Amino acid sequence: MRLLIISCLLLVTFASCTFRTVKGFTKISSEKKVYSSPYFSSAVTDYVYKANITVYGKSLSGLFIAKKINDSTHRVVFTTEFGNSLMDLEIGPESFKVNSIVEDLDKKIILKTLKNDFRLILANKHFIRNEYENGQEKVYQSKDGSRFNFLFADKKAEQLHKIVRASRFKEKVIVSFTSTNGQLAETIYVKHKNIKLGIALNYLKN
Amino acid sequence: MKIRLLLIGILFCMHSWAGFAQEQKMTAAEMESFKQKVNGVSKKISTLSTDFVQFKHLDFLSKDIESSGKMFFKQPNLLNWKYTKPYNYSIIFKNSKIYINNEGNKSAVDVGNNKMFEKINKLIVGSVSGDMFDEKEFTISYFKSKEGSMTRLLPKDATLKKYIKQIELIFDNTENTVKQVKLIESSNDFTKIIFRNKIVNAKIDDAAFNH
Repeated sequence: MRLLIISCLLLVTFASCTFRTVKGFTKISSEKKVYSSPYFSSAVTDYVYKANITVYGKSLSGLFIAKKINDSTHRVVFTTEFGNSLMDLEIGPESFKVNSIVEDLDKKIILKTLKNDFRLILANKHFIRNEYENGQEKVYQSKDGSRFNFLFADKKAEQLHKIVRASRFKEKVIVSFTSTNGQLAETIYVKHKNIKLGIALNYLKN
Repeated sequence: MKIRLLLIGILFCMHSWAGFAQEQKMTAAEMESFKQKVNGVSKKISTLSTDFVQFKHLDFLSKDIESSGKMFFKQPNLLNWKYTKPYNYSIIFKNSKIYINNEGNKSAVDVGNNKMFEKINKLIVGSVSGDMFDEKEFTISYFKSKEGSMTRLLPKDATLKKYIKQIELIFDNTENTVKQVKLIESSNDFTKIIFRNKIVNAKIDDAAFNH
């Protein structure tokens, strides 16, 4: 009996335990089932960004080029400033294909990290599990494997400006977007909290 | 890793004003005369400055990615390749070092005895001095077209082959200098660089190569 009470208490505690990321926010009943990110959602736009990547104090720069090639898949090519491709990938919510990659970048850990980061940036559809709000913002929570994604949008325009990828207790990756028209992200910053990796993307008007 | 990626990048653009292309094959006599003319011009080059426009073509994009800038070269081995649009990025070769200025963030890489660097350096200088028809490094074919004379180079080196399937250079028929370079990757995507406002042997101050 005592064990049952303890178990029940633990269960209640665990279930009601708020995520660190939405501390100070109020959980509300969710009307939305899906949150659609406006960024990288057009099938006719060539998304070309100047990219600066810093890894443990070292830096690598080039161009990040993305295009939506079907309903759920994006083609992503990373090139040097001179134009030669360093990697060519196809990324969907469930799919991941490496079309080509230079030897130096062809490492499991690099590919896994970039795959997860690019998915966060590119994904258009997020299936909502919970919804939170405060005075200015709404936060949509979706499940992503063993992690959760928290999508921060301002309340008025519903404009996405931040995604936090987190476990129940710890934030892992933060992606920030700035956009003047709400459709195209002019700057994107990806910051990892457990490794020293940062990616900065600046949109290039072609 | 960084050095290698960097060198691959540089290699890509540096062939630029070196020289290759295609169409109607040159006869043996035409080939000889063409080589002599190009070598003759190249040997007299002590400095070179030019504007360039670069087009990156990827089949899945609706438009080529365009960038542009300036290039300065001074014998024997000073080189500044500088993008000014749509971003500021320059790479300077000086005293076995590569200096990069990426939107104001400066860095330097010591390439010392790096073999790939030596190859690139040889290609750059060779393309200016006339020592560029290197049959050891490339299988070269010579063509003529309305646009000008063209050479097509197929790399022999295994490392280079991985990144570049073919290089095409188009030469100006009157000046016998390179006016366009096309670097084709194994995927058939390519980078095309067009040179404009080329100035040969004008005084270039050493400050043009300051980091």
